[in-house]
Amino acid sequence: MKSLTNNLLYFAMLFIFGAIIFRFGLSFFLENGSYNLVWVIAAIYFIFNFMIGWIFGKRDHISLPLFDVGFRFHLVTFILFNGISIAWFLLELNSQKEEIGVVYTTAIIWSFFLVLHFIFYLYAQKQSIKGINKEEIFD
Amino acid sequence: MNTDKELPKLLTAWEETYKKGQLTLWIFLSLKDGKKYVDEIKHFVEEQSNQTMLCESQSLYRNLRKFQHLGVVNYEVGEGNKGPERKYYFLTELGRDLLDSFIKRNINLFFNERIKNLINKEDK
Repeated sequence: MKSLTNNLLYFAMLFIFGAIIFRFGLSFFLENGSYNLVWVIAAIYFIFNFMIGWIFGKRDHISLPLFDVGFRFHLVTFILFNGISIAWFLLELNSQKEEIGVVYTTAIIWSFFLVLHFIFYLYAQKQSIKGINKEEIFD
Repeated sequence: MNTDKELPKLLTAWEETYKKGQLTLWIFLSLKDGKKYVDEIKHFVEEQSNQTMLCESQSLYRNLRKFQHLGVVNYEVGEGNKGPERKYYFLTELGRDLLDSFIKRNINLFFNERIKNLINKEDK
């Protein structure tokens, strides 16, 4: 199955860009005590990710209707977000008010939902041939 | 019941259902006929189906991408006519086997003598 499509790569690139900006803004505002702006940047970050996920997910399906119930995009988001967050701490770019434990806790809770999503993905694969839903192949 | 009025409606409704899924057969037949680029496939399908199968180029591209992913169709890049290079699609061995099997199981039924006679028999 072709998993790494062009649209997924474009999504990943924009996601990395957004995540770096978000982490920078988060650390900067926390360091300066601008807590209200933390909410603002978190909301903007959420909307940005939702939009790029929507746009590239839709384009990806139009290009090749892989029946993965969004799992590939979810997995990439999980790896990149947590990877960037951990790297942020390792590079000591975090503010003094951030704790790496929060990143690990988030990753552990998120892992549970990722595993659930993976189960749905495996179920979808059973109804597919080379990743395309049998019902969509000859529609 | 007014048959003159109902017949076209019923025929259209039946045809709409009947045509679903038929595009694949027409695409495969056009490629069995020889390597073609998208506009040629479109032309073949529309002409050979007496314009009963109309297909958008976008729809053809989407289907061809799926078939290529599944390994039943592939393409080679060839010279365009004064324009950019074109993708010439063709059936792979798997694609040819798939079409032959489909025809044997689903199309050849209509060439059975009894069925042929029934199709050609005119009701009073």
